Amino acid sequence: MKQSKLWFTLFIAPILFAFIVVVIVPMIVGIYYSFTDWDAIRTGSWVGFDNYARVFKDKDFFNSFVFTTKFAIISVISINIIGFILALLVTQDHKISNFLRSVFFLPNLIGGLILGFIWQFIFTRGFDAVGKLMGIEFLQGWLSDTTTGFWGLVILMSWQMSGYMMVIYIAALQNIPQSLLEAADIDGANSWHKLKHITIPLVAPAFTVGVFLALSCSFKLYDQNLALTGGGPYNSTQMLALNIYNTAFRFRDFGGAQAKAVIFLLIVAAITLTQVYIGKKREVEM
Amino acid sequence: MLIRKKSLSLAVILILLSSLLLTACSGDGKQSSNGGQEKVEISIFQFKVEIANELEAAVKEYQDKNQNVKINLETVGGGDDYGAALRAKFQSGNEPTIFNVGGPQDVEDWTHKLENLSDQPWVDLALHGVLSGVTVDGKVYGLPFNMEGYGLIYNKRIFEAAGINPSEIRDFASLEAAVKLLDDKINNGELKEQFPLLEAVFEYPAKETWVTGLHTSNMFLGQEFESSLAAFDAKTLDFKYANQLKSIIDLQADYSPNAKTKNRLNAVDYSTQVEQGLAMERVAIIQQGNWVFGGVNSINKEVAENLGLLPMPVVGVKENTIPVGIPMYWTVNKDSSDAQREVAKDFLNWLYTSDTGKEYIVNKFYFIPPFEGFDKLQPSDPLSADILKFAEAGNTTPWVFMGYPTAWGMDVLGVNIQKYFAGEFTWEQVVEDSKAKWQEMR
Repeated sequence: MKQSKLWFTLFIAPILFAFIVVVIVPMIVGIYYSFTDWDAIRTGSWVGFDNYARVFKDKDFFNSFVFTTKFAIISVISINIIGFILALLVTQDHKISNFLRSVFFLPNLIGGLILGFIWQFIFTRGFDAVGKLMGIEFLQGWLSDTTTGFWGLVILMSWQMSGYMMVIYIAALQNIPQSLLEAADIDGANSWHKLKHITIPLVAPAFTVGVFLALSCSFKLYDQNLALTGGGPYNSTQMLALNIYNTAFRFRDFGGAQAKAVIFLLIVAAITLTQVYIGKKREVEM
Repeated sequence: MLIRKKSLSLAVILILLSSLLLTACSGDGKQSSNGGQEKVEISIFQFKVEIANELEAAVKEYQDKNQNVKINLETVGGGDDYGAALRAKFQSGNEPTIFNVGGPQDVEDWTHKLENLSDQPWVDLALHGVLSGVTVDGKVYGLPFNMEGYGLIYNKRIFEAAGINPSEIRDFASLEAAVKLLDDKINNGELKEQFPLLEAVFEYPAKETWVTGLHTSNMFLGQEFESSLAAFDAKTLDFKYANQLKSIIDLQADYSPNAKTKNRLNAVDYSTQVEQGLAMERVAIIQQGNWVFGGVNSINKEVAENLGLLPMPVVGVKENTIPVGIPMYWTVNKDSSDAQREVAKDFLNWLYTSDTGKEYIVNKFYFIPPFEGFDKLQPSDPLSADILKFAEAGNTTPWVFMGYPTAWGMDVLGVNIQKYFAGEFTWEQVVEDSKAKWQEMR
């Protein structure tokens, strides 16, 4: 017993040290800075809740929040549905199942910035060329207004993240005991019944994880946003992380940006923790 | 079995710990080597990506001459990114010896780090006005990089084919007439045979808010303020020439490929305008500066050789003029050691006043030198040559956008112009909102 305690400490120490140095300490320093008029060159003077007061008056920040929330809701749904369908698809016994798994997972291995630029090219040039050729007005001028910017981001995120979710769902699907499904077969259940009454309830823990990951990723989305739309046109597709970055590095309002970041942290934590709590309660124990 | 497991886990722990220790050390490993000895090591942190390789070559040449000097060059591109990266660099404790500042706001932010360079030999050689942005209380803190200018860049071959004489375009009326004539000829197919891709007169990248919010607007605010310092000190903005600004923006939008769907201008970016616009002869005129030469030249040499610069007229004020200014300045870190500062000053001096250095400035960097004494070396590309012509004739407007409130140009005015194109704002709202924000941000 004593031995295992020693090992426990030894194993946990390095990572705990790293965690404290790169996460906890910067967070505390960051919270401190949010109460100062820091300009990133010299530590500023104490200004109390001034920065926070300004954040709540900042219309752009509020718009970003609304936009991000909308985006998160839509993309959480689309990422998880697509991911689940892909997982169902590649767990069927088929010759190319394994090949498809890697294909679907591949987008996840490409960096967000590069993906953003690739999709920017597809939306502004590819779509435009096809649209002009076929005379479809709908495909022209993508990313030049808020609506197409929004859907562009959703498409990009779904394309990238679905493969990752697929892997999670594959693991969950493979954990479902074959005997349950066979028993259902004998009872005369069709595939829809099996999916609805056996597969989905048993995969619920994975849904909790999937929704959690998609939700926090969507809220924190930065590089794809920067590369695809850059917040444009007129900052209407600017998400929270980008808004915070711009406040800091463009407007040089580092204190205000820190305050926004602290609020952002609270929002993301509150939303994701609530989601996990609710998701956990709905899970079925086997 | 148990022993093997143990030794394995021990190894893992050791690796983890050592990697942690190593990363912790690597930060200051560099600096320890230059203490005490004669060898002086300095670092340059600069923003101009276009000259990164050539500057590296110049650094090598300087090092060959001065064996005891080692210069580390680091380049991070783009206006905003550079500012952010520079802050991060200073925060990390890895302060560079030589770095860049942009204008009055930067000078104010960094003033506690800037070495007074007033005693340097190049100060007396500087052309009129190029040091105004970095002079505070009579002390000069920066060495100007180069002169840059912009205006309406046009394709001489297309003008010739359409029978337009560019030397007659000296004011807004003649510009508008030429544009209309060109537009007619494009629409009735007269130029189709010679320029099959030509589809419009202008391309205007509203997505690049630095083009709209900084450059276009500077033309008009440059008439209102006489220097970036004046703009920097201004508490309020009159926007005297807002209507003239509207007319030049409308002109560029109305004769662009997106004239009927102006909101799509908000997705037009730099490469659409320059590489996939001007260089491909898809459009005839764009609002840009001499920095596009390299890009166009790499795509179509013939187009690049036939570029020229038209003035950007401010109706009823100063019409035959282009904005010419200094994009960035070299500065020396006050907190470096004496030896480092000496080397840094000597290097900058060498680069801008020695014959080898001048050769680099003009023929390798393609800079328009902001100093006297470059008589023998003339810019080789047509755009720089045109800018020099405007400058020599005194037909220039100063760059004042460095004196705008931080981010006002791009993130307020540039964004408002996007709203104008999208139909969210009327022009009056653009002007009102921009004025109000200026006051708020001061």
